[in-house]
Amino acid sequence: MHIKHFIGAVAALSMTVAAGAGMAADFPAKDLQGVIMWGAGGATDVVARAVTPLAEAALGKSIVLTNKTGGTGAIATTYVRSRPSDGYTMLYGAENPQMYKVLGLAEIDYDNYYAVNVLARGVAVVVVNADSPWKTFKDLVADVQKRPGQVKMGTTGVGGLPHTVGSMLKTVIKFDVTAVPFDGEGPGITALLGNHIEFIPVGIGAAAEHVKSGRVRALSVVNGESVPSMPGVPPIVADFPDFGKYLPWGPFYGVFVNRDTPDAAKTALTAAFKKAADDPKFAEMMQGRGNVMMNISGAEADTFLTKWRSVSSWILQDAGVTKESPEKFGIPKP
Amino acid sequence: MEQSLSYFIMAWTDPYLIFLTAAGTFAGIYVGVIPGLSVTMAVSILISFTFTWDVNEALAVMAGVFLGGVYGGSRTAIMINIPGAPAAIAAGFDGYPLAKLGLAGMAIGVSTTVSFFGALFGIAILAAAAPIVSEFALMFAPRDYLLLAILGIILIGALSGESLAKGIFCGVLGVLIGTVGLDPISAQPRLTFGSMALMGGIHYVAAMIGFFGISEVLVQTLDLKKKIIKQKVDKILPSWSVILKHLPLSLRCSAIGTIIGALPGAGGDIAALMAYGHAVRSVKKPTRPFGEGAVEGLVAPEAACSSAVGGAYIPMMTLGIPGDAVTAVLIGALYIHGLKPGPMLMIETPHLFWFTVGNLVMASVFLLIFGLTGIRAFAKMVEMPPALLMPIIVILSVVGTYSIQNSLTDVYWMLAFGIFGYFLKTYGFQIGPIILGVILGPIMDISFRRAIITVRGDLGDFFLDLLVNPISLVLTAATVGLLIGQTPVWKRYAAGRRAKKEAAAG
Repeated sequence: MHIKHFIGAVAALSMTVAAGAGMAADFPAKDLQGVIMWGAGGATDVVARAVTPLAEAALGKSIVLTNKTGGTGAIATTYVRSRPSDGYTMLYGAENPQMYKVLGLAEIDYDNYYAVNVLARGVAVVVVNADSPWKTFKDLVADVQKRPGQVKMGTTGVGGLPHTVGSMLKTVIKFDVTAVPFDGEGPGITALLGNHIEFIPVGIGAAAEHVKSGRVRALSVVNGESVPSMPGVPPIVADFPDFGKYLPWGPFYGVFVNRDTPDAAKTALTAAFKKAADDPKFAEMMQGRGNVMMNISGAEADTFLTKWRSVSSWILQDAGVTKESPEKFGIPKP
Repeated sequence: MEQSLSYFIMAWTDPYLIFLTAAGTFAGIYVGVIPGLSVTMAVSILISFTFTWDVNEALAVMAGVFLGGVYGGSRTAIMINIPGAPAAIAAGFDGYPLAKLGLAGMAIGVSTTVSFFGALFGIAILAAAAPIVSEFALMFAPRDYLLLAILGIILIGALSGESLAKGIFCGVLGVLIGTVGLDPISAQPRLTFGSMALMGGIHYVAAMIGFFGISEVLVQTLDLKKKIIKQKVDKILPSWSVILKHLPLSLRCSAIGTIIGALPGAGGDIAALMAYGHAVRSVKKPTRPFGEGAVEGLVAPEAACSSAVGGAYIPMMTLGIPGDAVTAVLIGALYIHGLKPGPMLMIETPHLFWFTVGNLVMASVFLLIFGLTGIRAFAKMVEMPPALLMPIIVILSVVGTYSIQNSLTDVYWMLAFGIFGYFLKTYGFQIGPIILGVILGPIMDISFRRAIITVRGDLGDFFLDLLVNPISLVLTAATVGLLIGQTPVWKRYAAGRRAKKEAAAG
């Protein structure tokens, strides 16, 4: 009996201590699962695999990563939503879910999730094979307009980054291309290298090393100004100033759990990933790959996510590729 | 050159690196043996484990696990007809019948030597011709992946057993299982019946473990008192004459394995299946009929899946593009260690390339050593009383399936497939075609649609592309040739010609 009392006392004591730290000591009690919504080798995958060991160190448990691709990430997103809301299954996601509702891909988006950390924001770049006759973005656009529907653009499926940039172009200028979907930005670049597609807009991260090697040529960065990781590549507004109304826009990478996850788990995860994203080695790697560090969570992340959703949803609506109007879901115009 | 050599032997001079490679290979073999524990998973876990290590040390242990794991999967396929990994499925087609004949020791001996040979072949191509092969791999268009998958699925004919109709039924069933879930292009649900659990599809490893593992257990449980086959383990190492006899086939299948391994959209499992198909078609007089313990039917997939390891490294080292699921994870590991995998990797960090080559060679040597030393104990496993062995297999199957993606749904699927598979086997349906359909069906699906989108839905352009592109033309010719070769008209014609030739000769 004495021993039982003693254990009880210790438990009570540790609970008071834990309560001070937001019950963080109880979580995680076992290994966690991280579901990456894009294929291995793509930008989301690399970010996930870089931040995870740092977060594992902070959590003291392993995070088992799996790639669950398909449907521009809708498979992973609906899958994680269907898992118990205990914080043990995390979604390593990109921007895509914010467009699922209007595209009719899924009934859910990041409203159903709690942002553990929106780690960084990327900048898109339009690339062509080095053999391509197009030297500037204007060349590409002129050729597309001359041969409507003939030029092959790589995408990662409806609502993915290449598709969204393509839709933006459609609303700003006449831009009719054939979109060929691949499993992710990595396979998209592979197809570009093999000349199976003629151009593809991707995150700078997926293209940087190929541009450096000279196999791939960057025509334009989808940003208000040039970015240091793509020296000498003009911003898209230099050619088409009307594009400015959408910018800054770009893919982002984050870690999410179901919104109804207990606060203790949220707090522990948020603290761990905050620490991970603060690591200078991680930040250096992210910036080297053309990203802007964000490292925000909770309400701050929600503000960013909501604004992002309204920009993208209305771009898609204006491009006429939505299945449902953003109005139906109460998504305001930006 | 001198510098390359110094990087190459780096892995051979540091005792700690030698130890790590050995440990990795050893662990890899056992990861491979257990169904559901995949090499991809093991290497992913190692990323976190080796986070603070030096990059060379991390790569050494990962290369060992990779090579050992690919090899280990065939052990259980041979001994108990349960492939430890998808790449080992084809090894069981003829390996298990060999074990039934009491030749498990010989089968593993052959599998080990051939794996060693195949691994070295793949590494040699990696060392000598990586840039050329990766350029070749890039040329594969979506339509070429479609043709490759069709070539593979024709193999159903060879795997059908007594009835082709039953084989085709099983193949189509496999393709159907593979289509469950959200459609990869438009994200529309297919065959999900509104169920959330079906949205993510049915994992093909769950299907594999169920159809092979549980159904085999059920079959054997019905005959617990069956006489246990005594395994001959006195002559494990195949003689030189056996090795020399199968050398041409090993070479051809290693070449197939290296190229398919280097393709970004296909890995060791497909390589092994294609090589098996190649053996069935090209070997006229096998030691025993295929499916009944032909040594050729074991040599071919084992050479191919091991050489696919070297092949998978090719696009990874030269372009930063993964050649299969494991190299995709290895690329992540390189990023995390501060390297930049991509086309500049070999220019900026040339030592990494030659270190990897040297390291893989060493892992192959350890594969041979560990592979040949543990056989006796392993072969004894088959001699265990079924009442003891079967429960162990069931437990491993459940744990292995659960660990694929920590999903209980997968376990239910696995058990259901196991029971279903038992009835299929009872009524003379073969399991091989189902797995073929599950693996190749989704590739056919997405590649066909990609190819059709590329030509804007124009079927005329689609067929024209098949003829004007050199790779597509070769693959189309092979497919059409195979299909015609299977028709009764052609078979009669060929038989007639052979008879005439023999009459003329004799």
